[in-house]
Amino acid sequence: MKRSSTTRIRSRITVAGLFFIALFIVLGLRAFQLQVLEGARLKRLGERQHLKELIVQPKRGTILDRSAEPLALSLEGQSIYVRPQRLKGAESAGHALAEALGMEVSEVSRRLNSNKPFVWLKRKVTPKEAERVEALNIDGVEIYPEPDRYYPQGQLAGHVIGFVGRDSRALEGVELHYDAYLRGESGSSRIERDALGRRVLVQGVEELRIPPGSDIQLTLDTSIQHLAEKELEAVAVKYRAKGGIVVVVEPFTGEILALANYPFFNPNNFTAQAAAQRRNRAVTDSFEPGSTFKAILAAAALEEGVVSQDDLFFCENGKYPFAGKVIHDSHAYGWLPFSKIIQHSSNIGVTKVAEKLNKQRYFKYIEKFGFGRPTGIDLPGEPPGLLRPVDKWAPIDLATHSFGQGISVTPVQLAMAYAAIANGGILMRPLVVRRAFGSDGQVLWENQPRVVRRVVSEKTARSVTNILKGVVDEGGTGVMAAVDGFEVAGKTGTAQKADPARGGYAAKKRIASFIGFAPADDPRLVMLVIIDEPEVNVYGGVVAAPAFRAIAGGALRRLGVAPDKPDSPPLPVSRESAAPQIERKSGPVGQRADGSPEVPDFVGLSLREAMAKARELKLRVELRGTGYVIKQSPSAGANAEKIEALTLNLQG
Amino acid sequence: MAVAVSKALAGLGFFKQRRAKTARVARDRIAFMPIVLVGCGLVLFVLAHVWLRLQVVHLGYELSTTSNLQNQLEQENRELKVELATLTSPERLEATVRARLGMVEPATGQVVILP
Repeated sequence: MKRSSTTRIRSRITVAGLFFIALFIVLGLRAFQLQVLEGARLKRLGERQHLKELIVQPKRGTILDRSAEPLALSLEGQSIYVRPQRLKGAESAGHALAEALGMEVSEVSRRLNSNKPFVWLKRKVTPKEAERVEALNIDGVEIYPEPDRYYPQGQLAGHVIGFVGRDSRALEGVELHYDAYLRGESGSSRIERDALGRRVLVQGVEELRIPPGSDIQLTLDTSIQHLAEKELEAVAVKYRAKGGIVVVVEPFTGEILALANYPFFNPNNFTAQAAAQRRNRAVTDSFEPGSTFKAILAAAALEEGVVSQDDLFFCENGKYPFAGKVIHDSHAYGWLPFSKIIQHSSNIGVTKVAEKLNKQRYFKYIEKFGFGRPTGIDLPGEPPGLLRPVDKWAPIDLATHSFGQGISVTPVQLAMAYAAIANGGILMRPLVVRRAFGSDGQVLWENQPRVVRRVVSEKTARSVTNILKGVVDEGGTGVMAAVDGFEVAGKTGTAQKADPARGGYAAKKRIASFIGFAPADDPRLVMLVIIDEPEVNVYGGVVAAPAFRAIAGGALRRLGVAPDKPDSPPLPVSRESAAPQIERKSGPVGQRADGSPEVPDFVGLSLREAMAKARELKLRVELRGTGYVIKQSPSAGANAEKIEALTLNLQG
Repeated sequence: MAVAVSKALAGLGFFKQRRAKTARVARDRIAFMPIVLVGCGLVLFVLAHVWLRLQVVHLGYELSTTSNLQNQLEQENRELKVELATLTSPERLEATVRARLGMVEPATGQVVILP
């Protein structure tokens, strides 16, 4: 009895055991089938449900000015797209979407009923529109994050910055030229999503961290740029001109401080403006330089030693037959020294100088100054200008080239040539971009100033500068370019415009220009002002020179350049009430017993008065603090000639 | 006699069998212990694994929320930069100081450049 029940139990256990073993074998086989035989396919199917491709949009770098003011920034914008095949109830959805996006119902319906698998409904929507579409929660209508470019300064330097079109395609300016650095990389990463579609970052965020584009710092100075644009617009409007250009360059480094084209271009709204208006004409267009080119001839003639500043030339009283044509001057002149020829801008005079120089030598210097080939500025679309090879020059070309006709130059080429005269004879490569930063703020690379070549000797450059100073002095054509407190060297230009339809020159169309640098002997900026087709007056000395004066005055102040002419005494500023109670005992500048000047008493003077007095005595000053002078070293009465610097302690 | 012997044998065998059974059970138990321990360990391991997975998912959610917040704040920061740059653009500043504060361009001599 006992034995039989034990056997039964055993056999039941055995059966159960076998059953489970069989079950496990079946399970194992099924697991083998699922995991090994069909594993890859099933895994793919599963991933399709819970993994989603996340496209990480590239973050475009910021563009900054030389003092790190942002000029172009990227934000994450949103665009709405439709997958028409997934859409249910296109009609009601159409009405709701049209209302949410402020679009025509017919337009929305047309897009919703498209046969394509993917249709943009509206690009670059406002955050509010995106919110409204999200609230509608229509299946098949989705929001796509797209980077959006903003230019917070509006039209300021719009031509230099350029713009970015749809799909982050850079189309103009620095945006285009430095696109490879600014763009940043786009990437995609697969992320897990749960049943509700929420993102679960089980793999961490490392894959989502895609390096953004580098930030680019320009050489432009926003305040000088603003000043240039403001004055350019004022002049263009005043003289009813078709357009205008201002280029401001730092002569020793070739850095462009401002580059303005009128009419302006606002990159925030690039579609609304014609293609011609978007073009950076200061770089891409060439024009006949006219009389401003006479400085190039002067530099060549002085460098080759064929003339000196005081050599006399007979200016034929205004009419000079040359190579079968007659050359005219605007005023009739007789005998003029070479420097006065440039000062009065005599075409006949420069023709005679060019004859002495000969065309081969002149051509050599035109090329050396960088004309006839691109300057290599870091902006797109730069042409070489038009310079015919010397062996193709007609006899008259020597004369016309000497006063800037029959040759085409870009404004940047002309500015760089004058920069070479200003800096002592060295042609620099113009620069618009200073450096690039990585996302962590470290400098990735830097554009160092680059010397192209020495064009003329320092002595020649100084002589040309002296001649050009005469242009702005009393009696010259550029008097209206004189800047208070600074010596200016420059040249006016009034060029006829070529008439492409009829050939030759247009009867009334002129280009008025002025190019110069200041302070003349220690130049901090070179500036070219071009006014295209002014109607009220056409002369460079009248139209362009005052704009130079206004911009240069403000720009030099912005650059912190102290006036170099003594005839600009500081104006008093009345703030007497703020003065501390210190006895004022400053008297006139005295002399010591041995006749040498003595250091006056500065104590009690305001900073402004003290600086004016020190400047009068040509004393170098070291300042400690601000307000009113409470102590000076050396003290009053010391020999002013023997001290190196005067230290003033201020307070108040 | 024979019966007695067989009984005795049977009795002996019986006792022997019972003793042997008790010993086998004890031996089986000892042999079974490691299996039980391994089983328990396995269960604990699986539980720990599941717990860890849950933690990973939970942290994944947290990470996702934090990363969203980070993106949102970065975007806000960029928006504020755009706003700041727009508000401090030279054109706006100039118009504001001229209109609201009545400021004018300084004359040449009014600006003193300090060393």
